[in-house]
Amino acid sequence: MNLTCIIVEDLQVAANYLMKCCEKSEQVEVRGHFLNVPDALSYLNENTVDLIFLDVEMPGANGFELLDQIAFSPKVILTTSKKEYAYNAFQYNVSDYLMKPFTYQRFIEALQKIRPSRETVSTSNGSDHIYIKADGKLIRLNNDSILYIESMGDYVKFVTNDNKKYITHNTIKNLEEKVSKQHFLKVHRSYIVNLHKIDDMRENILFIKGNEIPVSKANKADVFKRLNIV
Amino acid sequence: MNNHANNSAFIFNEAIHAQSINELYGNDYVYVQEVFETVLNEYEMLTNNINSCYDSHNIPALKAAVHKIKPIFGFVGMIDMQQQCQQFENICQTTVSFDHLNNDFNLLKNNLVKSKLLIEEEKKKLELFNKQRA
Repeated sequence: MNLTCIIVEDLQVAANYLMKCCEKSEQVEVRGHFLNVPDALSYLNENTVDLIFLDVEMPGANGFELLDQIAFSPKVILTTSKKEYAYNAFQYNVSDYLMKPFTYQRFIEALQKIRPSRETVSTSNGSDHIYIKADGKLIRLNNDSILYIESMGDYVKFVTNDNKKYITHNTIKNLEEKVSKQHFLKVHRSYIVNLHKIDDMRENILFIKGNEIPVSKANKADVFKRLNIV
Repeated sequence: MNNHANNSAFIFNEAIHAQSINELYGNDYVYVQEVFETVLNEYEMLTNNINSCYDSHNIPALKAAVHKIKPIFGFVGMIDMQQQCQQFENICQTTVSFDHLNNDFNLLKNNLVKSKLLIEEEKKKLELFNKQRA
């Protein structure tokens, strides 16, 4: 058993079935079941897990609102039957959908989608540059030249200090793990910024060479920790 | 429809898709009984929510309430009810006025009542079956 998870699901019969699947798999340890987003959020403010089984439509707040507010990026498997969530699901790097009710075999297939990516996650990159694929070539970008990185659905945009913009196929979530932790910080689900380029911060907005970058509630504490406030 | 998962299998009412039940739970009829009990525990709250959304003429909320109950029919093998819920959601999506929902809603409401009775009956039969096997 090497994955920890929580289940956020307001249908008891569905939650019980998921727990049974997790138990049977011997691969996932269920740390909690929550019937609504606020309760799950309270737990995730104090604890981390590898994986969230997440229903989308729940009373009060929907599942994506939970993902907006947590300070880390667990794997997510949606338990919903609504295809109209596909765009959001992509933005939030959802690993799979399980349409209720699903078979145990289908549950295992969803888990298998998570495991390979866990194995290929690289650790913090100490290099002073990265290479990106853009315009049909590999382009070297020095860390010091990057102002910020912005999500554009299934692409990201690198904005550099000479006001150039490079668009490449990638996700913020993936880049968060690839870029230098010394230079960069995710401040919002759609933005990673170069900490050395921040000019000022007002309320929940960072200013970098005239660009306004939103800071999410979930990431604000991290930003304050990393800024050299005297 | 296959109502005989194997020779010693529980025989479900023909409105319940036994093959689906078997695919989800195998021959673990103790767990199947537990599923039926859990569904019944949630059923009243879910149908009350549907009725109150209808009474308040709130079509998006009604659609969401029907969407919420839909999967529980899958958990008890009632595929037809699952499909009827989906159809009603589709009607909510496309209807131009609340009055157009009346007939479809009344049909759904009647079937929700009948479905509860059926789930209760099957739960009782499962209890007896599991006691005899214990």
